[in-house]
Amino acid sequence: MLVRKLLSPRMGNLARRWASTNQLNFQNEKMQGYLECLRQEYYGLRVSAGGNSKAYARLAQLEGVVTALEQRRVLERNITSAQDMELEKDEDMRSLMQEENAIYTDLLSKQEQTLLRELLAMADDEVYPALIFGINAGAGGQEAMLFAQELYEMYTNYFEHKGWDYEEFAHETTDIGGIRHASIMVSGEDAFTWLRHEAGVHRVQRVPATEKSGRMHTSTASITVIPRPADVQVHIADKDLKIETKRASGAGGQHVNTTDSAVRIVHLPTGLAVEAQSERSQLKNRELAMSRLRSRLVQRQLESAEASTKATKKAQQGSLNRNEKIRTYNFVQDRITDHRLQGGTMHNLDGFLKGGEQLTSLIEKLQLEHRKERLKDLLEAWQPPQEAINKS
Amino acid sequence: MLRQLTRSLRLTSRAFTHFNYGTDSTAGQIPVTQALVGWAEKLKAAGIEDTKFNLKCIISHVLNKKFNTVPDSFEKLQFNSSQLADFERFLEARCARMPLQHIIGEWDFMDITLKTAPTVFIPRPETEEFVRLVIENYKNEKHVNLLEVGCGSGAMSLAMLHSLPQVVSTAIERSKAATVLAAENAKLLNLQDRFTVHNHTMEEDKYMPEELKDKKYDLIISNPPYVKTEEFQYLHPEVVVYENLNALDGGSDGLRVARLVFELACRHLHPGGKLWLELGNEHPPMVKTIMNLKYEGRLKFIASYNDQYKRERFVQIEKV
Repeated sequence: MLVRKLLSPRMGNLARRWASTNQLNFQNEKMQGYLECLRQEYYGLRVSAGGNSKAYARLAQLEGVVTALEQRRVLERNITSAQDMELEKDEDMRSLMQEENAIYTDLLSKQEQTLLRELLAMADDEVYPALIFGINAGAGGQEAMLFAQELYEMYTNYFEHKGWDYEEFAHETTDIGGIRHASIMVSGEDAFTWLRHEAGVHRVQRVPATEKSGRMHTSTASITVIPRPADVQVHIADKDLKIETKRASGAGGQHVNTTDSAVRIVHLPTGLAVEAQSERSQLKNRELAMSRLRSRLVQRQLESAEASTKATKKAQQGSLNRNEKIRTYNFVQDRITDHRLQGGTMHNLDGFLKGGEQLTSLIEKLQLEHRKERLKDLLEAWQPPQEAINKS
Repeated sequence: MLRQLTRSLRLTSRAFTHFNYGTDSTAGQIPVTQALVGWAEKLKAAGIEDTKFNLKCIISHVLNKKFNTVPDSFEKLQFNSSQLADFERFLEARCARMPLQHIIGEWDFMDITLKTAPTVFIPRPETEEFVRLVIENYKNEKHVNLLEVGCGSGAMSLAMLHSLPQVVSTAIERSKAATVLAAENAKLLNLQDRFTVHNHTMEEDKYMPEELKDKKYDLIISNPPYVKTEEFQYLHPEVVVYENLNALDGGSDGLRVARLVFELACRHLHPGGKLWLELGNEHPPMVKTIMNLKYEGRLKFIASYNDQYKRERFVQIEKV
């Protein structure tokens, strides 16, 4: 009796949780069908994958879900059903069963969380090897440019914190230390799934350093995230390049000893010019300039109307709307509010602007919301395959 | 009386802070931007181009920082007093046209950093292009037994060894200082297991040191001295005063040493093995003629290539 009393609120909790995320409930018939379908796909692939790298990638994706699913099924089987419980006449035996059930129910709910996490991770399946991260000062003049600079520092710190490679290929600064615009190529398998949630309008409220009379201003800066698909290739022909160094004429080789390391490359068909002078070796600078040129050409291609709609259409849904005001940085109250989350207010602005764990934890919340939505959409659109229906 | 004393004390202390203006006596730090004042003009007056780059190289060296980690604006950088002294000393030397690479004691060549030493020839940007071309040609070979004639600081061999693990290199070098430096560079780059260097001066009928006289190679590379004797008057001061002229003097037509290398190649290349040379502007056509006239049946001219400044400078020759 005591056990049952203890158990009932817990069950109540569980039931309530199920009710609140109903579509993602594992008791849901459609969900069951979907999971079973994934499991069959997994074992089917394991038999037929032989050497096919695409199949292996899918297998790796499915593995977490299938393992979690199977563990859940084992646990489920261990729970004694209510009917069996009724049939059991021995009081001691029954309380033992109840005790056991309590433990398994607990384990089961933990396992379901794991399974849900795996499923959610799988729903976020847009993988891009790299992306172009843009920062633009918005309304608010000099103050907006200063804020853009702060965001720039926050995000470059964040790229380093996450261990992503990044390369900047456009940067327009202002006299007082702000930026008008910056474009950064960020490479890393998971970079897109994190940074996509940062796209949109960021708003700052504070008394700017440029303000004489102490009034509070509201300014904005916008972030754009354009994924770079793996298949974007630009072909650069040697004849289209004009490679310039400081030494254009005069004797060369052993006759002179000029270091001559800075390199400028002009891409003749587009007129794009890139420079590199951060290395002492001319050849290294040339390689650097070439990779910058390549990034610029890729960016052009992505931003050209057609390609960009193709590449970003899927990604732009919801979280990637460029014009949506997504977050406010209020310096007076030392708070950050993300308008997409309920209770999305945090404090410690300085810590947040360092681009470390605090940003990670906010993005994690956004990611979870996004993934839940994706999974719901996925389930809604999912149809049981024909053969499965025939069998049943 | 007392008031007068305190007043004079205050005055002297004010004078004191004035004298220390900018050097901040407690920390002994001086902003780099302040230390820089006037030097760009002095360098220019001494005939040095690309002053900004020269300054940045020396600043990063003085601060003991990697060149590519130093920002283009020096606003946030500071020297202490001994760094300031070094900075000024180095810039004086640079104004006297001491090569930048000797002043900072190291230089980057492709992906590697090499120690430099006085009198040892400093590799030029064109040589990077030359080595890039050779690497491009050999990157798919299984094993390459390489000989370099006149390795200097070791730049060409070591850059090849660094990017191609299947290459083993032997080098000969006439200057003792360069021989030592090349071996040291190999060690610094942890390439000493695949690199040996012999101190040897090539002469007619004694092309190779005794211990290598029967050895054969798949590939010979060389950047032999190719400056014509008559051109010596036009060389940069950095070159004439500070570099070993033995590494430059190519005789009346600039090919005196190259001719020795041709003979060496006849004797020490496997059939089908290649000789790659970096030479002066007008040399490749001359080399082609020499091959046709003098080496028929022994060496064959394969092709010539342009450097990055579109000058025909590099040749490839095959042992028949």
